[in-house]
Amino acid sequence: MSISTEAGAPAGKAWKSKEEFLGCVMLTDWILLVVLFAVVLGSFHIHYMLLAGDWDFWIDFKDRRMWPTVAPIVAMCFAAAVQSFLWQKFRLPIGATVACLALLTGEWINRYDNFWGWTFFPINLVFPSALIPMGFWLDVVLMMSGSWLVTALVGSMGWGLLFYPINWPVLAQYHQSAEIDGVLLTLADLIGFNYVRTGTPEYIRMVERGTLRTFGKDVVPVAAFFSSFISMLIYFLWWKIGTWFTNTKYIEVDDI
Amino acid sequence: MMNKLLATLAGCVRPGALRALAFGLAAAIAATTLPAATPASAHGERSQQAFLRMRTLNWYDVKWSKTEVNVNEEMVLSGKVHVFSGWPQAVAKPDVAFLNVGEPGPVLIRKGAYVGDVPAPRSFSLQVGKDYEYKLVLKARRQGRFHVHVQMNVEGGGPIVGPGEWITIKGDMANFTNPVTLLDGSTIDLETYGITWTYIYHFAWMAAAAVWILYWFMTKGLIVRYWWVKAGKANELITVREKRIGGLWLAATLLAVLFGYAWANSAFPRTLPMQAGLLKGIDPIALPAATVTAQFKGGSYTVPGRELSVKLRITNSGTEPVKIGEFTTAGLRFLNPSVFTTRPQFPEYLLADRGLAVSDETPIAPGETRDVTIIVQDARFDIERLSDLAYDTDSQFGGLLFFFSPSGNRVGVEIGGPVIPRFAAGATL
Repeated sequence: MSISTEAGAPAGKAWKSKEEFLGCVMLTDWILLVVLFAVVLGSFHIHYMLLAGDWDFWIDFKDRRMWPTVAPIVAMCFAAAVQSFLWQKFRLPIGATVACLALLTGEWINRYDNFWGWTFFPINLVFPSALIPMGFWLDVVLMMSGSWLVTALVGSMGWGLLFYPINWPVLAQYHQSAEIDGVLLTLADLIGFNYVRTGTPEYIRMVERGTLRTFGKDVVPVAAFFSSFISMLIYFLWWKIGTWFTNTKYIEVDDI
Repeated sequence: MMNKLLATLAGCVRPGALRALAFGLAAAIAATTLPAATPASAHGERSQQAFLRMRTLNWYDVKWSKTEVNVNEEMVLSGKVHVFSGWPQAVAKPDVAFLNVGEPGPVLIRKGAYVGDVPAPRSFSLQVGKDYEYKLVLKARRQGRFHVHVQMNVEGGGPIVGPGEWITIKGDMANFTNPVTLLDGSTIDLETYGITWTYIYHFAWMAAAAVWILYWFMTKGLIVRYWWVKAGKANELITVREKRIGGLWLAATLLAVLFGYAWANSAFPRTLPMQAGLLKGIDPIALPAATVTAQFKGGSYTVPGRELSVKLRITNSGTEPVKIGEFTTAGLRFLNPSVFTTRPQFPEYLLADRGLAVSDETPIAPGETRDVTIIVQDARFDIERLSDLAYDTDSQFGGLLFFFSPSGNRVGVEIGGPVIPRFAAGATL
């Protein structure tokens, strides 16, 4: 790590040497990074489980309408908030990626330990949605433009549009079909049917519902565009929330 | 004020207190995570309100083809269910229902579900007042001993759990396979299908994310960057070279996404959207017209004696005399020992083989109308928490009363109505 003190770091007399000071800064950096990652992991994970929930938990909820609409919108919240914090305070273009990686780390721990390790649901039933390339897109757009307005418009558009293509390489195999007792089912449907979820009956699936029938079978792009537009609004709001919640003025005390 | 509070709090935080706090936290984490999780042995059916279990679905003729199976071996859970006419207003009608299994995770997988002869992998409608026959084909997956129930989920009503039986599964889950033949004729093992690729795909992207984050973190860290931003030099923090790297990174990402999408389309050219929607064509059992009717004339539940007393006016319009042999409700069976001389095969905890008494045991002759009182009394009524009926907001009982003729014919009649709780021992109807 190369660092410089030319910006006026208070090296002072608290450190015996410059090396000790630099080592302290680096150690603190790592602690901060780990803490930030853990905080985002926990909070984003709860947020995503509550709002994207079943659409992200189960293979037989990952449809062409609701899932690509809901998941990017819900994921945008923390991506924008963390980006706001890391960009404004540190000029780091990694906020959305940090959020996505933290969420996926938490999700994979949860899916492997809980869904598979405790309950023995197979991983092909419970793997999460892939989000990382969307994080790269949002971060690089912010870095290139330097503008949260441009990022909200261009970044959010790509954020929503990229979601389904990113997930398709894993999802496609589960949309092959089989005939079971004369009923046509995709493998996604069949996994959901075979592997019993006592508390998740089939009718609870909110999939392939809606009035969007004009575009024949090509409903994903329309759902993705809609998701992108809502993601723009979410980006504006959560960028501000990120700013408000990463402010030290709430804990400032005169005598400290 | 705030400073005083903070000072007080700070005073409390001594090294010893911190050590104790850290130790307690570690002990709590260890206690909740390290011991092996105990599998659930029941599915909360007792926690459902009594009126809900008694007056929604009346399960009968429930059979488990085996109670001991090996991993990969199949068994059948079958039976009939009567949809109670007096379906409680508090619960949504079963216009959308799903035949399910109550078990602790997929210890047995559901290879087939049928209502009547119709395969039912999706939801369907049930008609109130009708009877349905169901069959679940289950394949053993995980070794152990598990409580397995039939269950019907009703949209707006929740899960309605039927009787359960302990099933022992022998063998090793590592040997479990779930072969499925696709429309193109190829066969896959659904248990493991696509999992390795899913791991590779996800973890490759996550590794790329870690590289991106660490690249930026390692250049100037956090604190130094913060100082620069505070010093008004934020715009100097990202160099032209770094922007170029970012652009290339994004270009590579988009190329990878495009390539992945195209590859998936070529590797799996025939994909279909998920199948959804209500199944049609599920018909109730065509039962002959009942030759016995039972008119409810009043009922009470004596709490100290766990005794449900029901007055009925029974009319036998059939050609044979009949006797009251069984009352079933909420998965429990209360038998009249004068009719059931041998104990039928049924889970012990749900079978009260001497739990039903009738005020007049003489057979009801053809054409006769008689007033009788039936008494349902057994500890299981209380253990299964049906005695909560006395405290329900809708204190009405429900169930099926079975009449038997000398030739072995059985006639099931739905009975139900309000019951008055009696809290004093010895109280009568």
